[in-house]
Amino acid sequence: MTTSRDDLVAHLAEQARCIRRHVVRIAGMSDCHTGGSLSIADLLAALYFHVLRIDPANPAWGGRDYFILSKGHCVPALASALAMRGFFPEEELTRHLELDSLVPGHACARVTPGIDVSTGSLGHGLSVGVGAALGVRMDGAANRVFVLVGDGELQEGSNWEAAMAAAHHRLDGLTAIVDRNMYQTGPTEQMMALEPLAEKWAAFGWSARAIDGHDMRQIVEALEALPFEAGKPSAIVARTVKGQGVSLSRHHHMDRFSPEQMQTALSELGVE
Amino acid sequence: MPVPQRKGKRPVAKSFGELLLELAREDPRICGVSCDCWGFLGPLHGEFPERAIEVGIAEQNLIGVAAGLAVRGKTPFALGMNPFVTMRCFEQIRTDLGYGCRNVKVIGAYGGGVMYGGWGCTHHAMEEIGLMRLIPTMTVVMPADGFECEQAVRAAAAAEGPFYIALAGGELPLGVPEAERAFALGRAAVLREGEDVAIIGTGPAVQEALRAGELLAERGVSARVLSMHTVKPLDREAVLAAARTRLVLTIEEHTVIGGLGGAVAEVLAEAGAGTPLRRLGLQDVFACMVGSYEDLKRRFGMAAEAVVDAAMGAA
Repeated sequence: MTTSRDDLVAHLAEQARCIRRHVVRIAGMSDCHTGGSLSIADLLAALYFHVLRIDPANPAWGGRDYFILSKGHCVPALASALAMRGFFPEEELTRHLELDSLVPGHACARVTPGIDVSTGSLGHGLSVGVGAALGVRMDGAANRVFVLVGDGELQEGSNWEAAMAAAHHRLDGLTAIVDRNMYQTGPTEQMMALEPLAEKWAAFGWSARAIDGHDMRQIVEALEALPFEAGKPSAIVARTVKGQGVSLSRHHHMDRFSPEQMQTALSELGVE
Repeated sequence: MPVPQRKGKRPVAKSFGELLLELAREDPRICGVSCDCWGFLGPLHGEFPERAIEVGIAEQNLIGVAAGLAVRGKTPFALGMNPFVTMRCFEQIRTDLGYGCRNVKVIGAYGGGVMYGGWGCTHHAMEEIGLMRLIPTMTVVMPADGFECEQAVRAAAAAEGPFYIALAGGELPLGVPEAERAFALGRAAVLREGEDVAIIGTGPAVQEALRAGELLAERGVSARVLSMHTVKPLDREAVLAAARTRLVLTIEEHTVIGGLGGAVAEVLAEAGAGTPLRRLGLQDVFACMVGSYEDLKRRFGMAAEAVVDAAMGAA
């Protein structure tokens, strides 16, 4: 017997699989930041199909929750989630990088409906999230702010300026989600170690939890428990695998699939 | 370390703070973010504590936070010290404000140009104009005194889009009486009429431009003096009118590369004006010396005497 919770988790896992299929198809047509897009697919599915209060028919709705993809190069996954939610037609995803497409190479608020903040240069998103959360508080409103950051990106010092400010200003409407996929252009811990990472957030005054970023049940439980503590911003360190779900992309930053590779990858994602 | 400020009726921080409060009363979107410039937000904080935010000594976060406030529909004034708020967070200004077309007013609150004099080159904002004017969508205003400063801040609050304003205070010596002055964004202010040469100044250097106008008059040279408070968008018409004299001089507390002199040179060259141009300012050097602000301006050719020498040499 399945519970409604099991149904929800299965539904969200299917949405994540759909995001991954879109990412693979994009990589079959053009260069694509596959690895980091695939590692955030489960997180995006939970956010866009269960957690975020948004209105695809009115992307500028004042009551919306704000989502900032600080690792802006992973826009193929975000654009897929937005198209699946109805912000624009899914066919547009087949036009990644093409002339005047809605699917750019880095997240662009001017180009893609549903994207509030343009990103691509790492280490910008969290500060913008702090500002949005402060603005919401000025209005006495309840919109929440979510910032998805890469782990390698946390080597940028600006993140820690933002982390300090968020805790100082007691922004419990702000959540940072770390896509802890352990790879940048090489293995993150070898290039510039971040551990102990959850402890770093805690030391900066955040309420931090580590979860398995591919376990939909854990993702949903964490997102539903926000804020973890009143008066503190929340950090979710999501352990992920760069390229999750597609063996060909494992630990890859970018891919451009041949038709055969794309078919192999899609088969792995349940497409015959 | 004392904060150098030019003489005036009131300190810049106090008058700016009161003006911001007045604007905030009229427009609920207006708020203030401070990077260790809390004194400027005192009045705002007193009446609207939730609309005055300190981020500490963290310029990158200052600009990102201001951008986020603008995402939420606010009109933040983001304050930092001129050299640091234009350089440390240049990419945040360029990407989060410029590319993002955010309605954020970046305020160089103190330490404009070489006002810190002999306190050291770390504190000279000799790139502020050049850096800010590189950014698409950015309006760049360098007021000469308290009058232009107040007008610029009011204009920025009323306009959409990102601004950079270097605060100024005090009153201009030898200037047109305040009651007779006008201010319009993008329109140079003529502070002295003249036909022989034209001196275009911006920011604190306008004081020296006016003094040079007076010194030249004593030598029988009639000089038009302009305050080019808005460096971007530049008043092309005023520059081309200046080119109808026999020599155009620009003066700025800034490197001559990319600043006011550079901007004027671009207009003159593209118009094929052919009028000689002399750019007074830092000649691709760091103004490294120990001494006062006045000493430094004299040694590095940013005082009225240097303008006079340039005008007479070419005359």
